[in-house]
Amino acid sequence: MEYETKARAAAPDEFDVPVSESRRTFLKMAAVTGAVAVSARKALADGDIGFYAKDLSDEKLVDMYRTILKIRWHERTQADQMLTNPGYRGYNHFYAGQEAVATGVCAALRNTGPFEQIDLAYSSHRPSGHAIAKGVDIPKMVAENDFRATGLNGGYAAEMHLSDPSVGFIGADGMIGPSMPIASGSAFAFRARGSDQVAVVFGGDGTYATPHFHSTLNNAKLLDLPLIYVLENNLYHQYAHYSYSCPHTNIADAAAAYGIPSRVVDGQDVVQVFNAAKEAVDRARAGGGPSFIEAKTYRYYNHWGAPGATAGELGAFGYDPLAITSFRPEREVRAWMQRDPVDIARNILVNWQVLDETAAQDMETEIKAEIEQAFVWASDQPLCNPEDGLKNVFADGAVPARQFG
Amino acid sequence: MAQKSWMYSVLEAVQYEMEQDPNMIWIFELTPPVASNPGQPVINLETAFGRKRVCNTGIDENWMASCCLGASLAGSKAATYIPYQGALMPFQVIQNVAGKLRHMTGGRASMPVVWIIEMTGQTPGFAGQHSCYEEDSYYAHIPGVRTIIPSTPYDAKGMMHAALRSPDPVVYLYPAGLRTLTEDVPDEPYEVPLDKAAVRQEGSDLTIVSSGGGMPGVLEAAATLTAEGASVEVIDLRVLKEMDTETLVNSVAKTKRLLTVDQSYYTLGPGAEVVARVAENVEGARYKRVAFPDAPPPASPEMFTWMRPDAEKIAGAARALL
Repeated sequence: MEYETKARAAAPDEFDVPVSESRRTFLKMAAVTGAVAVSARKALADGDIGFYAKDLSDEKLVDMYRTILKIRWHERTQADQMLTNPGYRGYNHFYAGQEAVATGVCAALRNTGPFEQIDLAYSSHRPSGHAIAKGVDIPKMVAENDFRATGLNGGYAAEMHLSDPSVGFIGADGMIGPSMPIASGSAFAFRARGSDQVAVVFGGDGTYATPHFHSTLNNAKLLDLPLIYVLENNLYHQYAHYSYSCPHTNIADAAAAYGIPSRVVDGQDVVQVFNAAKEAVDRARAGGGPSFIEAKTYRYYNHWGAPGATAGELGAFGYDPLAITSFRPEREVRAWMQRDPVDIARNILVNWQVLDETAAQDMETEIKAEIEQAFVWASDQPLCNPEDGLKNVFADGAVPARQFG
Repeated sequence: MAQKSWMYSVLEAVQYEMEQDPNMIWIFELTPPVASNPGQPVINLETAFGRKRVCNTGIDENWMASCCLGASLAGSKAATYIPYQGALMPFQVIQNVAGKLRHMTGGRASMPVVWIIEMTGQTPGFAGQHSCYEEDSYYAHIPGVRTIIPSTPYDAKGMMHAALRSPDPVVYLYPAGLRTLTEDVPDEPYEVPLDKAAVRQEGSDLTIVSSGGGMPGVLEAAATLTAEGASVEVIDLRVLKEMDTETLVNSVAKTKRLLTVDQSYYTLGPGAEVVARVAENVEGARYKRVAFPDAPPPASPEMFTWMRPDAEKIAGAARALL
């Protein structure tokens, strides 16, 4: 199911699909002719109804399903590590339940190629799904989350600061807010240097209340920045329902007020997410400015770690001691799990005859083993040298130790 | 009198002040003003005073800090609890508005406001952006704002009463690593002054000065050194602004040796200010500083625990001075 916000009725021209010519070609022409106009748009035509997944190859569709499975089994395997292995020190803000959002969005991005050409993704403190969907090396990420010297970021980062610019994953952000205006800065640079790259920022429902949300949308619209704001509304910021911090039912209504094309999509359905993301990416590449996508979704675990979860089982239903005064009703969790992004993606692919049930099952078994192997590899990786904590403060050298007086 | 935890002691003070003053407000995000303690009634400010006065808001620390400043300017006492994620978000309003307002208005502005600002980052594994022990230096630098940092449940309660009764804006730093401390804390309201350091242990060979989250390690090191025969004086700053110079100078004038211990960064940490004030007033003393290096705390426990000042490192630095 896909909804559209009021803005569409108010300003239908904002939703026109962009021209197919690349922004770069157009800007070169503009430079030659001295033209200052930036964008051109045309109406939906030739029967194009915006169901872009119709054009995806079987290979690409299968790849999206594999990505969803990788994220799911990464989360489940790590949760089980936290629950059963006393020697395991890693942690995560688990993304399970939201897999279709990261997967659908990143499937619409350019994730391989030179750094100057790939699209950039800014993530939140719930980053493992975004990282995997953008193409981060999973074993290295697993090692990083376990504080290993050979991890993705040398053991400095851990989960909340994961970063791999080589695939355009600028990184996780442990804070709520700063990533959005910073992502808009990357989008500003793309526009200034005539690139057709786009910047995507993933944020939760908690970001609505921050000043960063409003400043980002205002400037993105004002300056026509190629920015896509993906708001993953999983109903809770930390332990508070989003009704504590936002007066809107659909947060996309707020983005529409900034004049930004905004959609509300079913975040459990990777195809719906992809369609919205493709529309937004096409718009941004063509110079049509920012887009806002609110994906209605849900996380199966509590805010942080695996309290309330049981090893070998998906989801957390028990009491979370960190929640103090408010926690999620078990029935709400179970109701959302009825619409599981893994099941939905598999059913679509089977229904479209891209995969049969057996192949889908084999794929899941294979990916589960692949993820388990990543955790085994990571657990064999060396721990950090203590003295290395003094490095990487500046580009060169190390700062002096001060802790010994 | 009963054994009480840090946060229970604090909320006991806040609850009392809110009962006395029906205008007082409390703003929070994510961290409900709730505390329990064995044998004591549960404190829940939200249910006790209702959501008009005690409000759970979105993640917007700038608004929380500003709202409380505005309430205080309107004549209502106000306090807010800023969790560590946003500890520096309110900086502008505290530094460039609250800190200057009394002076700018020729003394007309009155600001009975308290910003409880959490400090965290002593747990290996988080670090990075979830570590903010350096904020003591930032807030201590601001004129016009009383920046305090209690290190015991007793002081936490008494300084909260004093802060809420002060007409000056107060940054009340809460070292979250101390949340598990308990001690005997009176049930009745009482004040601990906002301008006095505390001598935790008297001695004649060496003065060790620290504050907040640094104190448990310092006290442990002092116990070790005492057992080794050294006579160590331990000073808990408690107040970063206005810093209690007299207590520091009197101590080092006696011991002629000063070791400062900060959990925040070396450069411009509280210890730097302590050494400077003592050096201006005491002849012939020797000095040493223990602090977190000028590097962001890394996630790896191996790197982090090596970098963080602890009792063993503090004792080692003290022995080098003795």
